[in-house]
Amino acid sequence: MTATVHPRHRRDPARHLVLWGLVVLAAVMLVPFAIIVLNALKSPAEYAASGPLSVPDEVYTQGIVDFWQRVDFGVKLLNSLVISGSVAVLAVVVSVLNAYALGIGRIRGRLWVLTLFLIANTLPQEALVYPLYHLFKQVGLYDTRLGVVIVFTIVQAAFGTYLLSSTLSGFPREVLEAARVDGANRWQVLVRIVVPISRPTLGVLLVFFFIWTWNEFLIPLVLLISDENQTVPVALGVLQGQRSMDATTTSASALLGVLPAVVFFLLFQRTLTRGMTVGAIR
Amino acid sequence: MVARVLAALLLSTTVLAGCGGSSGDSNPNTLRLWHYEGPESAMGVAWTAAIAKFEATHPGVRVEFEAKGFEQVQKTAAMVLNSNEAPDVLEYNKGNATTGLLSRQGLLTDLSEQAAARGWDKRLPAGLQTTARYDDRGVLGSGKWYGVPNYAEYVTVYYNKDAFAERGLAVPTTLAEFTAAMDVFVAAGVTPLAVGGAEYPAQQILYQLALGKADRGWVDRYQRYTGDVDFHDAAWVHGATTFAEWVAKRYLGPESSGMKAEDMGLAFMQGKYPIMVSGSWWQGRLKSGIKGFGWGSFPWPGNRMSAGSSGNLWVVPAGSKNKELAYDFIDITLSQEIQDQLRDAGGVPVSPGAVESTDPAVKALIGDFDTLVRNDGLAYYPDWPAPGFYAVFVSATQKLITGAATPHQVLDEVAKPYAENRATIGG
Repeated sequence: MTATVHPRHRRDPARHLVLWGLVVLAAVMLVPFAIIVLNALKSPAEYAASGPLSVPDEVYTQGIVDFWQRVDFGVKLLNSLVISGSVAVLAVVVSVLNAYALGIGRIRGRLWVLTLFLIANTLPQEALVYPLYHLFKQVGLYDTRLGVVIVFTIVQAAFGTYLLSSTLSGFPREVLEAARVDGANRWQVLVRIVVPISRPTLGVLLVFFFIWTWNEFLIPLVLLISDENQTVPVALGVLQGQRSMDATTTSASALLGVLPAVVFFLLFQRTLTRGMTVGAIR
Repeated sequence: MVARVLAALLLSTTVLAGCGGSSGDSNPNTLRLWHYEGPESAMGVAWTAAIAKFEATHPGVRVEFEAKGFEQVQKTAAMVLNSNEAPDVLEYNKGNATTGLLSRQGLLTDLSEQAAARGWDKRLPAGLQTTARYDDRGVLGSGKWYGVPNYAEYVTVYYNKDAFAERGLAVPTTLAEFTAAMDVFVAAGVTPLAVGGAEYPAQQILYQLALGKADRGWVDRYQRYTGDVDFHDAAWVHGATTFAEWVAKRYLGPESSGMKAEDMGLAFMQGKYPIMVSGSWWQGRLKSGIKGFGWGSFPWPGNRMSAGSSGNLWVVPAGSKNKELAYDFIDITLSQEIQDQLRDAGGVPVSPGAVESTDPAVKALIGDFDTLVRNDGLAYYPDWPAPGFYAVFVSATQKLITGAATPHQVLDEVAKPYAENRATIGG
């Protein structure tokens, strides 16, 4: 690289093409969000008069306020936070324990265990709904947030186990042996060696589990019946009428629904990028 | 140490997640009520008033109302009603696949005794009672009362008065006058009909056309399985061929095959099309949405019958712990006071008031409905007789709009799932 021009100054048309391609793609991805924001801040009268694509004459926030009060949005936010937060933490813990046994412990038949987890992961949720309903009714978990936390901890941990096992099976053996030589037992190896070194990966898993659980719709819809237990995506469904669609309030609710996930993502964005680059180097 | 931290973590999240969720408790002084209508819709307004009246006439009783989503109730009703979380009274869709199915599963309370004792059977016109009663197979039209409607709906023709006046057109009273009026618009370069071909509106037009050559016996054979149905009889052939003819004459544009009902309503409200054939459920939206022109409605010209039925039902789950309170509430929603509020908010009441509405648009809507009921003209909806029939009809009418199939091919397509369903229920 010493004698050549620095890559940044090189005029490479292919690079520009890729860059512009990505810019266009990003813009296309953002269009739906832009439309939601546009309509969330538009009065119903203006929507009826000039349609979904017009820019509102004045900012109208009553739709957002109305929706918030109508569904008691604060409660739903809290429910979603509690459920997604619990699931994210619990699923990571379960994944690490499983993956430690599978990836580093190399228990017998681990391939079959992994296959089982993979199958569990590909099962459509529609197939789970009825068995879960009957099971939960028997044990008194129907219409409780605890029930949903348990379901998603298992669902997310199945994926987490699969992913972490393959990562941990590539864990440097020398490090583990060094720890053993120093007299660390299995717990200590896990807690002092494996977890700290894999922390970036675990951070990524935590963020993904949180966002995935946040966006879940079908199982919370079926299992959380009372208003006081419902999550944000279920609350958004209240606005879908049989034959009517209140476009401006629906947009307002959609805006309220995605904001928390976006905020969470921005907060943990550094964890995410760190986790990704660590994975890339290794 | 680590194990202890983990245990603490587990415990704390579990405690957090476990709190609440005790709504299944029964309380003799609470009426748990669910419905899925928006607070500003005619039903929403009337039922809010009904809740207030209920609380005023039942001192010490509290109504615990939860606003549900349509989809949630559709997807989960059977499961909820089979559990301890069932409410005492709820709004539910009428029809074989919904209320009929739940009644057959034993999840709903038989309301026949109450209907007779409280006079609901006299207050509701016969055409509206059809959707309240279900037989042992869960087929509507006869048998026990499992639900009580307190509003109605029907398919009518909404039109832009200014656009009609501008071209010197009068309100058509026959199908020939109707098509003549549409010819005038086409000649002027205006597509007359706003049609949402991707959803329910197109199939309702086809059904309205077929009903022009139908009678009560035809409707009963089709909807209540009282006899053989021939999809190539005069009525169906008239419906499908006339629909195709209207497409050829440009009464509806090719863009309508992809339009949703919402797009249709919006386009009509913006004055892009002078006519919209759709249900009375649009009344409230049109009233608040149309600013620039005069509008009104007229019944489908020349028909004795029209698509229409009772609205959704109040049903009482078999597991309801406060059935008496639930019956009282249903009774209140049928009272004249609440019925009038429903009407003034843009709904079609089941019993028209002694005092007429002052709003001419409302007056026309209610008047046309009364004529329809007096003629025993409620013909329900084309997609009712078989589960999944809605999508079949959407695709069939889309093919007519795009010209992908001939009217007879389309009717064959519709006949097949109908026959299959008839075979399975043994009708």
